[in-house]
Amino acid sequence: MTKAKATPLKRYGELNKRSAYLKRYWQLYALLALPILYFVIFRYGPMYGVQIAFKDFNLFTGINDSEWIGLEAFREVFAMNDFYITLRNTFMLNFLDLIVSFPAPIILAIMLYEVRSGWFKRFSQTVLYIPHFISWVIIGGIVYQLFGTQSGMINGVLQGLGFEAVPFLTEKNSWLITYLFTGVWQSAGWGTILYLAALTGVNKELFEAADVDGASRLRKIWHITLPSIKPTIVTLLILNLGKMVSIGFDRPYIIGNTAVREYSDVLSTFVYRIGLEAGQYTLATVVGLFQAVVGLVFILGSNYISKKTTGDGIL
Amino acid sequence: MTGNTRRGVMKRAAGAALAVLMGASLLAGCGSGSKEEAAANGSGDGKRVTLKVEVFDRGNSPSPHTITNNWLTQYAQKEFGDPNNIDIQFVPVQRSEETTKLNVLMASASDVPDIVFVYDSSVFYRYAQQGGLTDVGELLNEHGQNLKKYLGDETLKFGQLEGKQFAIPGKRAITARYNGYIRQDWLDKLGMKAPTTTDELYETLKAFKEKDPGGLGSKNIPMGMALAPSGYEPLIYGFIKPVKGDLTYSQRYELPLHEGFKDSMQFLNKLYNEGLISKDFSLDEQEEQLGKDFQNGNVGFMTEDVGQILYADGALDSLYKNMPDSKVAAVDAYTNPNADNKHIKSRYGSNGMYIMIPKSSKRSVEAVKYLDWMASDNNLLTMSTGVEGENYDMVDGIPVIKEDASQEIKDRVYNGGDMAILANGKVIGDQETNERAWTAGFPKQNQELMEQSIEIANTDTVGPIIFDRPIEAEAKYGTALNDKLKVIIVQSAMATPDQFEAVYEREMNDFMKIGGSELKKELEEALQEQG
Repeated sequence: MTKAKATPLKRYGELNKRSAYLKRYWQLYALLALPILYFVIFRYGPMYGVQIAFKDFNLFTGINDSEWIGLEAFREVFAMNDFYITLRNTFMLNFLDLIVSFPAPIILAIMLYEVRSGWFKRFSQTVLYIPHFISWVIIGGIVYQLFGTQSGMINGVLQGLGFEAVPFLTEKNSWLITYLFTGVWQSAGWGTILYLAALTGVNKELFEAADVDGASRLRKIWHITLPSIKPTIVTLLILNLGKMVSIGFDRPYIIGNTAVREYSDVLSTFVYRIGLEAGQYTLATVVGLFQAVVGLVFILGSNYISKKTTGDGIL
Repeated sequence: MTGNTRRGVMKRAAGAALAVLMGASLLAGCGSGSKEEAAANGSGDGKRVTLKVEVFDRGNSPSPHTITNNWLTQYAQKEFGDPNNIDIQFVPVQRSEETTKLNVLMASASDVPDIVFVYDSSVFYRYAQQGGLTDVGELLNEHGQNLKKYLGDETLKFGQLEGKQFAIPGKRAITARYNGYIRQDWLDKLGMKAPTTTDELYETLKAFKEKDPGGLGSKNIPMGMALAPSGYEPLIYGFIKPVKGDLTYSQRYELPLHEGFKDSMQFLNKLYNEGLISKDFSLDEQEEQLGKDFQNGNVGFMTEDVGQILYADGALDSLYKNMPDSKVAAVDAYTNPNADNKHIKSRYGSNGMYIMIPKSSKRSVEAVKYLDWMASDNNLLTMSTGVEGENYDMVDGIPVIKEDASQEIKDRVYNGGDMAILANGKVIGDQETNERAWTAGFPKQNQELMEQSIEIANTDTVGPIIFDRPIEAEAKYGTALNDKLKVIIVQSAMATPDQFEAVYEREMNDFMKIGGSELKKELEEALQEQG
């Protein structure tokens, strides 16, 4: 204020500039309002409930009137065997998923990019996208029909050819493979979108110049296509690493079953079980909070490493 | 119809099936306005109030009915609602997510129905302990004389906790629970007799496997099994020693605390490893695959809920349609080596579900009145069976379903079992009458088999011990242990025989660690107190 008083003219000019700026760009801010509202209501609002983790939550007296218990619930959770098993499984499934599912869309996108025939490209893109729109419940049904040991179609064929039936769903290691490839099938096609978008920005002259130099197709992919989607790859990798500790609920819950519980029980299904099924909301919130904190550490960590090593980051 | 309930309906009406109701309730809401929101507790002031009642939705409403607007809801509205100036609004809860949905509903003071119910006693105890339920003792004296008479002190006791009546237990018509079914035509082909002991059952299954009387090859399933209680409970009861004569711990997850449980798992392991039971039973918690396998004629033997396969157009009817030469007989196969080789099997307690009125409900008086109305006159029978002369005829005091009634009339009571919440099954009189009434509801050609099934299911039964105080470990660990029980069953069954010992020990240790030992201790103490 004192500054404004001292130089009223300058202050006036600044205001004027700002209002002109707002006048010009208010529509963009208006567009932003809705997403911000979304985040406030659905992402920040619920944080109020995080205090349940420190309270002996009683369903009927509500959050405010429940008693504070400090870190007691944390102690209880960290003493639970199931917690460590589900934590391990979450990391394991996510890590394997990263190895198997992360490169799949990159390879697919490059292959699509190399396709010359326009209609075939569009056709295969559509076919590849479709699984993304199928809910996991339905995929689960399909998986059971296909991979069942006694009634599954694939084992029917295998047995018809004189092979032993493979317990795709009930032996934990076979299940792991089923789980991972179902994931690839469901998400690889959709994952190509970002890479293909990045590829549209590649200067065609680069390819022509490479042609003149006599570069083979693989050379061009290696030296032109891949470097041009590198930032996208890094960004997605960071986002994926940040999600290492959080795992979707549907996929492990639906594809998983009691026989492979040792592998298929993850944090999200654990939270569902103790929270919604057993009604121990405090413990469930503790696990959720733990997940959020570890997730934050992961995303900051991977961003830091990425900035140090490649110079690209997202923050 | 209040603003709150309207919002509540909209929130819950995510399912497209409810669109019709939504329109209706919005219209109704417009008509009666939201003035009544201020209506105080009680109904004597002459204002129209809304009573919200939970109802199970099994997704099987025949057109044009919906789960919230059908012949029975209209009947309740006309007979009870209108004379008492009450709008009854039914709040659907999907049958398969009964408790999860209820947990969510209970947490919201405005959405929760005035009448809710649950089968799981530990859920009831938890709600009661947390102070979420209305003590209905006084209300019953004042407004529920018919209800009290119908239930009787013995049933009411199930809903009492430290002298307070926190739940109104439904009554169970029949305590018969499980029996076995075997393919008589397979037995005939092999020249074998129906098995009457566990050893004979094993021999029979082996013969089914080796001689393949159905000529099914790799599809042959000597014993159909699912990861469902009707599959594993009869088997486990065939080995465990009941803790107190013909009574034992009531909860399913308390089975591993019994002497003999390991024997049952060992037997299951043997069956699995010799390829005698459904290979993918661990995937089949809803018995869908089992149902298919049975109807396609691939299953030699299985245990089921009494009557489960005998309904009109049910599993048995489809089997006979698919395989006209097949024949199914009821068998009592398991004999228990730890209980004098008797045909030990579980029976239900005499109570049905726990009907509760949440503490936040402002319509507790109306809620009790509704239940009292249901218990009076002929209402319960009408709600479960329909109209006399149209849906059924009374023959010797038993309602016999009219099979020639039109589909429209039959559809009236398609959800009768779920609307008549005071009764599990048809409560007509004593157990025997109820059984006859139940049998009379089955298609003629299946009634003989039904009678045999009930007789078997009533042989050497073991019922639940009722403690007069809640077992706190049940409320605390019940869900986790129930889950673990399934893991124990699956892992024990699927381990290779030489690993069985190690796997079983590992899983049981886990079971004891996550609450099993505390539960055991508490149960044993309660048992001693009881003497």
